[in-house]
Amino acid sequence: MKKQKLIAAVLITVLSCLLLAGCKGEGDSTKNSTPSNSKTESASEDAKTSGDTGQVTIKASVWDLDTSSASAKTMADTFMARNPDIKVDLIDIPSSEYTNKLSIMLNGNNDLDVFWIKDGDTIKAIESKGQLADLSSFINRQGLDLNVFNGLADSFTTDDGKVFALPVNSSFYVLFYNKDLFDAAGVAYPGNDMTWSDFENLASKLTSGEGADKKYGALLHTWQACVQNWAIQDGKHTILDSDYSFMKDSYEMALRMQNAGTIMDYATLKTGNIHYSSPFLQGNIAMMPMGTWFCSTLIDKIKAGESTVNWGMAVLPHPEGVEAGWTVGSVTPIAINASSKKQEAAWKFVDFVTSEEGALIQAQAGLVPSRISTDSMSFVAEAEGMPDNALEILTAVKKITLDRPIEEKTAEVNQMLGEVHSLIMLGEYSIDQGLAEMSERNKEIQGQ
Amino acid sequence: MIIRESKFSKFLTYTVLSLITLLTLLPLIWMLSASLKLDSEVFSLPIRWIPKNPQWKNYTVIWGKIPFGLFVWNTLKLTLVITVIQIATSSFAAYGFSKINFKGRDFLFFCYVTTIAIPWQVYMLPQYSLMNKFHLVDTHIGYVLLQSFTAFGVFLMRQFYLSIPNDLLEAAKIDGLNDYRIYFRIVLPLSKPSLATLTIFSFVTIWNDFMGPMIYFNTTNLKTIQLGIRMFIGQYSTEYGLIMAASVVALVPVFIIFLAFQRFFVQGIATSGLKG
Amino acid sequence: MKNSKAKGKGLSLGTKNLFLGLSFILPNFIGFFIFILIPVTFSLVLSFMKWDGFHSMEFIGIKNFIYIFKDRVFIGAIFKTVYYSAFTVLFTLVASLGLAVLLNNKLRGINFFRSSIFFPYVASIVAIAVVWNALFQKDFGPINSFLKMIGIANPPGWTASIHSVIPALIIVSIWRNMGYFMIVYLAALQDIPYSLYEAATIDGATKRQQFFRVTLPLLAPSTFFVLMMLTINSFKIFDLVYMMTEGGPGNASTMLSQYIYNQSFIAWNYGKASAAAMILFIVVGTITVLQFKVEKKWLSYM
Repeated sequence: MKKQKLIAAVLITVLSCLLLAGCKGEGDSTKNSTPSNSKTESASEDAKTSGDTGQVTIKASVWDLDTSSASAKTMADTFMARNPDIKVDLIDIPSSEYTNKLSIMLNGNNDLDVFWIKDGDTIKAIESKGQLADLSSFINRQGLDLNVFNGLADSFTTDDGKVFALPVNSSFYVLFYNKDLFDAAGVAYPGNDMTWSDFENLASKLTSGEGADKKYGALLHTWQACVQNWAIQDGKHTILDSDYSFMKDSYEMALRMQNAGTIMDYATLKTGNIHYSSPFLQGNIAMMPMGTWFCSTLIDKIKAGESTVNWGMAVLPHPEGVEAGWTVGSVTPIAINASSKKQEAAWKFVDFVTSEEGALIQAQAGLVPSRISTDSMSFVAEAEGMPDNALEILTAVKKITLDRPIEEKTAEVNQMLGEVHSLIMLGEYSIDQGLAEMSERNKEIQGQ
Repeated sequence: MIIRESKFSKFLTYTVLSLITLLTLLPLIWMLSASLKLDSEVFSLPIRWIPKNPQWKNYTVIWGKIPFGLFVWNTLKLTLVITVIQIATSSFAAYGFSKINFKGRDFLFFCYVTTIAIPWQVYMLPQYSLMNKFHLVDTHIGYVLLQSFTAFGVFLMRQFYLSIPNDLLEAAKIDGLNDYRIYFRIVLPLSKPSLATLTIFSFVTIWNDFMGPMIYFNTTNLKTIQLGIRMFIGQYSTEYGLIMAASVVALVPVFIIFLAFQRFFVQGIATSGLKG
Repeated sequence: MKNSKAKGKGLSLGTKNLFLGLSFILPNFIGFFIFILIPVTFSLVLSFMKWDGFHSMEFIGIKNFIYIFKDRVFIGAIFKTVYYSAFTVLFTLVASLGLAVLLNNKLRGINFFRSSIFFPYVASIVAIAVVWNALFQKDFGPINSFLKMIGIANPPGWTASIHSVIPALIIVSIWRNMGYFMIVYLAALQDIPYSLYEAATIDGATKRQQFFRVTLPLLAPSTFFVLMMLTINSFKIFDLVYMMTEGGPGNASTMLSQYIYNQSFIAWNYGKASAAAMILFIVVGTITVLQFKVEKKWLSYM
């Protein structure tokens, strides 16, 4: 019995050591393979040695291909029409699991070539593992001026001049409002130079009714971003700061409004799984600060006849002492797998996606491309169903602070902030208690 | 075990059962009702059990919006293949673990059981690397291999076999049957109810698996129902009406399997018993 | 079993049995070994390593364990997991056994009852999470409306409160799993040879005596199975929490698996994640060994 156990134990140990050794090798080697497709493999080698004979297939991952990333399909099709020697295989992954699957594919040494990055907060961690190809040689060779991205590319450049990703599109917060509710209350539509206290006052004027028919002056969605962002709007702080007392004003406002009943209750929204779009589309919300991505949802739902909301858009309210037009947003980058064997083809695709033409394709789909030009912006603004003043609002933006900075620990800190945020909004913690807790846990995360 | 009951206790049983069943079904009724609503109505409060304006089109839209038919076919194929392999190999192994005394048996079984305890989050990455090395990522065969040899089936069957009295097998041995024959002629026929159980379990597990297909399938043509359902959850918006409709549709095949196999639980009474 | 061992003919029988046993086990074991046992063993080795999942790993001894035991989120997660598991295991076990006995009758409509109770296990978890969140809704949800109707003025906030989120999850788990384990018991009840009851009746045993003297002892292997699976599943609970509360509010429902998930997918500390999983491994390993001992004793009575 004992001998048997010993043999079994030794066997397992040996085998797992073999595996360990295998994994160890994977990190730095670039051995790669295309399962069940030897044709592509040989083609890629051809492409590398003898220029552009044969077709190269590159794999690019993206999320929600049928909904939020529909433009990626057009992008790939147009690109393939221009470059018949390259075939782009788009891998569609559910958005909620995108970051996990991406990390497993990269760590497991899958032969993925290009990928969009969904949560900007994870990119730095991927970069520091050396999983992102340096694009600077391609950029220099092509003479691409990164300034065309209005500073959005800066966060993807390291101090020693490496460029590990390029921005594809961005989104930023604006104020959506329901014109009918303003008309009914006899209040003028929100202006483009409003402070948050103006917003709060306006909200109380617009709240009316009871129970299921209650009209709320505003809605702050359950994301921590929908409270904390107004504290970092001034560009002086980030969510990585070790002391969170600067968020106090924001939280006080949110809780004041919640207690006054001028915004929907956090607990109701959270436990009812209430997506911010539902109450707004049903016409129960007068004002809602939300990202520009919401435009396309609104347009689609109204077109589909599911809603008749008469909506408008204004510049995001700003804190006292901050200029109008300063807002908070995020950027979606695209990057090349460092261990991709098809770097040339991959770069061609990345270059196309971030080009002038790529920008127009995205603008037509209602996304704000990273290459902002009057051309592309007017495409966005003049899309069917957009409010008349859309171009004015979209171009009024003076500064976009990233809600999640491109740093290594951002994802972890952000996760923690979300946890404490819910406790403050549910009243389990007082604001001071909550902010202190945040600071303490921040130190634990960033300290090590 | 058959208990012949008095009228009163029969009435009591029915009342208790009906109450439990109603409570159990309530959430599912809500699901059915939500599948006939617009996204914006799904969460309107207070809950409206009967939709004001039933959206039957939710049930047609799902087939066109995503290749749902293909997903159903893929899921059916994978589930059937895996279930068959699992039933065959794990009941066979379970016989070895429960009815043959050999050195190292308990240690091997210990290995089986403890792997069930490890959450997938921990070994998913090593497993993926392994599959990637074998070129089995993004193939149906890879997923089949991954899911067919779970410890669960062996564990379940072993426990069932333990309650088959050894005297029965001893008697067969005296009659000159070897272990393979005993397995096929005596143990297998005796264990119909447990095989039915494993069939149902294995079917449901694979049918509802989300993480496996999510991690291992890249090509749309390979994807399964559960991946399809999540396609209605977008980054910025979720189509709850369609999710519910797709979930209701996904229930139907499992329901059929359940009805088909659960009769074995009743049959067991008549067939099982000491033979020989 | 009484005299079978006495018949052993020394070494040759042992070797013969070894090959015989392996021949039964091998078809399953080969696949299990390659696709499950190797990755699992590998991940256990990881608990002594520092690894980001990509670069070469570094042996750091028990540092991962020291770290997690200093982490209050982890300690909290352990307590919550034990709290959740204790109630889930107990209630589900009792409920599933009770239902199985109840539904092991020849009643009209038995198929309907059985399927209805099994149904929750079948429904897609996405749908289940959405449905229960709506049912638990604090102000207008049907559960709290009912509680208010029967005179409870301040019903719990369920998933919106750090105090009642775990009870809410326990309720959903019992609802979801009782049908599943009921099936195990139903099958086991069917596997009990009818002749045993006949014999018991001839010996003059009452129904109650039959249940405690015949049914329960013969259900022991299944009960062991149910107990193990319930314990493991509740210690590993992930999907349901992830879909229903994401570990919130705050981290009031962050349990062991969620912690492991956060460590591996958000913080990229595979070593720490494995160390946390090791705890689970030890708990389940101990229970298994204990159960083996009990089971051996039990089998010798047969």
